[in-house]
Amino acid sequence: MTNTLIDGLKERVSNAITINQSVGVILPGNNYSDLIQALFEHIHSRSEDVWVYVTITRPYESIFKQFGDLSSGGNIKFIDCISRAAGLPKIDPNCIFIESPAHLEKIIMEILNIFRNIGDNVQKYLIIDSLSSLLIYNDAQLVTEFFTHLTNRTRLSDIHSVSIAIEEEMSDNINKIIYLRSDKIIKLRESFI
Amino acid sequence: MSEGMVVSEGRITVEDVVCKTGIDELDVQLDGGIPVGNTVLMVGSSGSGKTTICMQFLANGARQGERGVFFTITEPLFKLTKNMQGFDFYDKKLIESGMINLIDLRIISERLGLDAEKYTVEDASALLEVLKDIADELNVKRLVIDSITALCYRLQTKEMIRDFIFKLGSSLAAMNCTTFLTSEVPPNEVKYSQYDIEEFIADGIIFLGDVDRSGDLIRTLQLIKMRGTAHSRIKSAMSISSKNGIELTPLLKSRA
Ligand SMILES: Nc1ncnc2c1ncn2[C@@H]1O[C@H](COP(=O)(O)OP(=O)(O)OP(=O)(O)O)[C@@H](O)[C@H]1O
Ligand SMILES: [Mg+2]
Repeated sequence: MTNTLIDGLKERVSNAITINQSVGVILPGNNYSDLIQALFEHIHSRSEDVWVYVTITRPYESIFKQFGDLSSGGNIKFIDCISRAAGLPKIDPNCIFIESPAHLEKIIMEILNIFRNIGDNVQKYLIIDSLSSLLIYNDAQLVTEFFTHLTNRTRLSDIHSVSIAIEEEMSDNINKIIYLRSDKIIKLRESFI
Repeated sequence: MSEGMVVSEGRITVEDVVCKTGIDELDVQLDGGIPVGNTVLMVGSSGSGKTTICMQFLANGARQGERGVFFTITEPLFKLTKNMQGFDFYDKKLIESGMINLIDLRIISERLGLDAEKYTVEDASALLEVLKDIADELNVKRLVIDSITALCYRLQTKEMIRDFIFKLGSSLAAMNCTTFLTSEVPPNEVKYSQYDIEEFIADGIIFLGDVDRSGDLIRTLQLIKMRGTAHSRIKSAMSISSKNGIELTPLLKSRA
């Protein structure tokens, strides 16, 4: 990992989400951890904003081990969709453990519940990590419907969102819907980085 | 909603004509709430959340100053309160202040000297009078019987069941009291009542079910009927949690 790479990513992502309501990030699996590093550094530098991080890729605990310092600002809440189904949940005031990544409605409810209690003057951000991982547990049609519904709701509540999709996990439907529903697409190419 | 109605004492407000369940998404689906005085069947199989949603309905009402009463037949009071303590909406103070009254119907019928298993026509009308008196005396605006199935079991004929629910419903409606009756049905069946009568007499039916999604069960709630309101008929996903009690969001439908 070179710092210039992460700094570059951070700048692209932070510019995009400040200007656009919904940003889709499509990237090869190889660059996944760089992106996450960049995102956490960005979150860390924006302590006045409120963030909700939905993880379907990695258990909250493992994220916390790696980025705990960067997420310690108290401005980020996690929704972990995989630990409970895998039998590894802990109780943590900063994380909501959802019983199954197939319970897409519950994910929507928990996201909106967290943001509902946040004042209007605070900028709200949502990270979906990742849309493509939902495909492991749900059929593509359902994930498409989930994403449509979620982006409708976040728009109404003035929540900015970053939706990550990993190329290797993508299906045509998801590719289509992420293009359709995002105001801005950041496509990372290994060759460029 | 009859928002424009005017009577001599002043304007009738929405609150006078609809009873808000206090579960936001449900009230939206009901186009504001349940028409005041309706008798509503809360239908579901075992563990579907009937008791929880009824208790949340009472707690939300009590917080708005509407007194409620909960008649239990299936669960003893200590178990009921123990289960409900797990929910944030439940507050012991609401019980202590008398805003929610929990009453074991078996104890009442024992005091009336009724047979525990089977009621005669006279038994049934004695019980009905007591229920009406309690509702009247406490001036309750929300009443729950959990479950009507267990009560119907003690009424021996379809006529007695029809008579009992009809009279109970009309007396409570006259008191502007909105009533939830829980109805137990077998899982995975589209059936709203055990004796096939309750559903026709009731003004409303709320169905709690579940759908299978790749092996996981998702709880659902659907309004089947509600007299007097233009309600939605969509199937919602329902969540039960300690923090928020019952919550709804539209069910995502896989077309696969
Ligand atoms: N504190 C809680 N947090 C989340 N879920 C809970 C909690 N307490 C109970 N539940 C869930 O709610 C279900 C029971 O709900 P409830 O007792 O309202 O169902 P019911 O339809 O009345 O069942 P029965 O027919 O057995 O009376 C439990 O099976 C459990 O899954
Ligand atoms: Mg029950």
